[in-house]
Amino acid sequence: MERDSEFDPAGGDATGISLPRLPLPELDEPGAIARYLCGEGLPGEFPFLSSAYPEMYLDPEDGSKPQEEPTRLFAGLGTAEETNARFHLLTKSQKSHRLSTAFDGPTLYGMDSDADGVFGKIGEGGVAVDTVEDMERLFDGFDLSDPQTSVSMTINGPAPTIMAMYVAAAKRRFGPNVEKVLRGTVQADILKEVQGQNEVLFPVASSLRFLLDMMEYSVSHFPKWYPISISGYHISQAGATPVQQAAYTLSNGFSYADMMREQGVAVDVFAPRLSFFFDCGVDVEFIALSRVCRKIWAIGMREVFGGDNRSQLLKMHTQTSGRSLVSAEFKNNLTRTALEMMMAYMNATNSCHSNSADEPFTTPSEEYVKLASHGQSILLEESGLFRHMMNGLSGSPGMKAVERAVESEILKEFAEIERLGGVLGAMEHRYQRSQIQAASYRYEQQILSGERRVIGLNRYADSNDAELPSVVRVTDAVKLKQLERVRAFKMKNKEAAAEALDGLSQVVENGGNVFAQLVETVEVCSLGQITERLQRDVGIFRPMI
Amino acid sequence: MGCSDLASEPLRILTAVPLCDGHDSAVMAVNQALILQGYEVVYLGYHRSVQDIVRAAIQEDVVAVGISSYNGGHLEFFREVVELLEVKGRCDIGVFGGGGGTITPADVVLMKSYGVDEIFLAGTSFEFIDERLRELYGGGRDRAECELEIANDDRGLAMVLSSVGSLEIDRKKWVRGSAKVIGFTGPGGAGKSTLIDEWVRGYLADHPVGRVAILTHDPSSMERGGLLADRASMVYAQDDRVFMRSLATRGRQGGFAPSTEVCLRVLASVAAGFDHVLVETVGTGQEALPFENSVIDTKVLVLHPEYGARVQLQKILMMDSADVVVLNKTDWASAARAVEEVAHQISLSNEGEVRLYQTQASEHGNVGVTELRKDLLG
Ligand code: B12
Repeated sequence: MERDSEFDPAGGDATGISLPRLPLPELDEPGAIARYLCGEGLPGEFPFLSSAYPEMYLDPEDGSKPQEEPTRLFAGLGTAEETNARFHLLTKSQKSHRLSTAFDGPTLYGMDSDADGVFGKIGEGGVAVDTVEDMERLFDGFDLSDPQTSVSMTINGPAPTIMAMYVAAAKRRFGPNVEKVLRGTVQADILKEVQGQNEVLFPVASSLRFLLDMMEYSVSHFPKWYPISISGYHISQAGATPVQQAAYTLSNGFSYADMMREQGVAVDVFAPRLSFFFDCGVDVEFIALSRVCRKIWAIGMREVFGGDNRSQLLKMHTQTSGRSLVSAEFKNNLTRTALEMMMAYMNATNSCHSNSADEPFTTPSEEYVKLASHGQSILLEESGLFRHMMNGLSGSPGMKAVERAVESEILKEFAEIERLGGVLGAMEHRYQRSQIQAASYRYEQQILSGERRVIGLNRYADSNDAELPSVVRVTDAVKLKQLERVRAFKMKNKEAAAEALDGLSQVVENGGNVFAQLVETVEVCSLGQITERLQRDVGIFRPMI
Repeated sequence: MGCSDLASEPLRILTAVPLCDGHDSAVMAVNQALILQGYEVVYLGYHRSVQDIVRAAIQEDVVAVGISSYNGGHLEFFREVVELLEVKGRCDIGVFGGGGGTITPADVVLMKSYGVDEIFLAGTSFEFIDERLRELYGGGRDRAECELEIANDDRGLAMVLSSVGSLEIDRKKWVRGSAKVIGFTGPGGAGKSTLIDEWVRGYLADHPVGRVAILTHDPSSMERGGLLADRASMVYAQDDRVFMRSLATRGRQGGFAPSTEVCLRVLASVAAGFDHVLVETVGTGQEALPFENSVIDTKVLVLHPEYGARVQLQKILMMDSADVVVLNKTDWASAARAVEEVAHQISLSNEGEVRLYQTQASEHGNVGVTELRKDLLG
């Protein structure tokens, strides 16, 4: 089997041998070739098992552009200024600026830094963002209109408000036309919040309405933005098996597609603006898991939704597994992450976050974040594995066996979800949550019994090795600064805010696009004020256990 | 008195995850492990404030509170819980917890110095947790003064309720007050808790004064341990104007716990002073008639549209003795048919005495729930 290769044969490093950029199986029988093309697909071709694009790890939109690194490290601590400094540190030697924002607990729950009982959590585990002014500070010094800059924001319950702050902040700096060129993604995946991450602020129906308003607005106003990142990571970290992660995430994705279609948005308008986020752990299923997801998604989007080539593409970010990292003899976490990162790239992930070795303890320290980032460079730049070949690891008998097994298990989960009335029906039965919790309990039991081997914890543990890294914490002075800042903002805008909030309530009531209104509201209202008002209007989410 | 035979009863603890924290994987695993060891775990859920935790601990009269914290700020949070318990006169309630690697050994020293009993670091086995908790809390404790006669605050009332399980109460002391007692029953998954919580939300919003008590039930597993998790989803009921108590069935069949009737008598008394007492059974089967021998004024049967074929309705004995039937989850596709069938069934069984409401309790300010509230208040 041959293919007109648009690519130069690549050279191996050590011996200088010549390698094909795109090695193909040695097949001459027509049936086998057809099976290969339909089952596996060439890189960048249906069903995209090999990869989403013919050439990975380059700017996919335009081959002539300089390389955009797939490395995207999640960062956030303290106030906007501290996080901004971390962003600059992380991207200083990169060609592109791929920023990924972690928010602190109060922000994730839509609260202000001056709310009762949150002081200790300000800026811990992520950055505190209360207002549009914080958002401006956060991206200070980054050109948000530059095609080499993209911003990811891990925020869900309050995603529409935070996204509105991002848009408003970008407009303040770069003018109204910046809308057209904003690149990046906001997580906003509320279904997996109900199932795994627990950051839902409003009843499900209202949460979905706010989300759909934002997605609709985004696809028509921000053509380069991904208004949702359909995430399996949190489902997986909550304890799901790899198959559960894939099945629940894909079914959530298909639900969103359904909802957008019901809103009257054409599939080829919204589908290319959906993106995905997966977890990659040490288990063997991960060798092929997200490849299979790409295939199932492509088939679903083509056959059920009638989407075109671009709509069929599942684009994904991968994060290595935090839960696989343990505190006992924590430096082993470097090796675990290296292994997971390699599997993530074997699955041709579009971008990747590698965890730091101090993950079990703290927001990563500079020391370990540097190792995590260099780990990626070693894999992608120093090693020849992904530099010389497009699909060097595709199609091996073992890989195929895992693909088949995983695929059939995912389809079984689909059938069960369908039986329970689809994703929303299954959610009401607590199906996903109870499945995940059972798997999580099993996982912990297996570690405690030694059935699941964890080196340094239940095997080869060295009682003399009790070394712990130092933890990164935010000082009270920094917390106080943030608290006072949001107070001052609210004081300054007191009257305007009251009026803006009433305006927002009106839109909620009369069925208008809430996101369009939020872009105005955030000019004078804080996150907490907006959350409170919306909860008064539509209610509070009742958590499920 | 009732407090002394604690050692033979299941250990009752409360668990929760702090405000602005949704890491519930660890606490759910710990809950599960402890239930299997025979604990009754009242689970308050995630994203919970110090006030909510302390209020629940006092009302539920647990021996200790376990907190699972991951998003930082544990030094402040645990301290505030310890301090507020003290302010509220229940410094005898223990405080323990965990948070994997985010709580360092140095933090633990500090936390213990201000009154936290134990922190379980990453990698601790469930067996060890169980052993340590029994060591700390298994022997009964010197409880804050138990004044059985005076139930004029939640603290006293909660302790009275703990004692009635093993103590015949003096009926003369617990004279029936003006509280209206409303019983909710129905199959599991009908949405009873949500309905009650939505009811409470409206009550609190419309009535500036007055208090409500809620008595909920959850099944014990193997007649011992149990997860009592109604509080986790009843968010509006976590309020100073609501007194809530969760009971495990402890082997009793039919929907209630061994001490339910006596608890109801106490809650409905003049001394307790509530306007309304709402009692929720565990999810019941078709033959259940849980309210037969208790002081219930209004019996509410809650159904959801997926009860199966029409003949299943005829088998529900409560249909004949309910005052109010609620068909919840009317947003489900099967609701239209269900409304008709239930209405028909009611007309057959109770000569038109039963009031039927259609609700969608998960909807904020649902019209059906509002009508039901007016009916039950009136
Ligand atoms: C799983 C996980 C998640 C999952 C949580 C899923 C869920 N539903 O629980 C997801 C992916 C959703 C998640 C999200 C976030 N996470 Co997280 N997460 C973790 C992770 C990987 C494991 C925690 C865990 O559950 N372990 C399993 C338990 C069973 O084991 P254990 O922790 O060792 O606990 C033992 C004991 O301590 C004890 N124990 C624990 N609690 C209790 C309680 C009681 C009562 C008892 C008796 C015992 C006990 O039991 C265990 C038995 O041995 C840790 C890192 C790590 N490797 O530890 C980060 C970690 C906790 N997360 C972190 C952060 C920052 C977040 C986010 C804020 C990120 C963001 N900005 O968006 C969000 C917040 C989510 C939210 N809603 O609050 C940070 C916290 C940093 C800090 N405090 O400084 C950590 C440390 C990672 C890191 N280094 O950045 N996370």
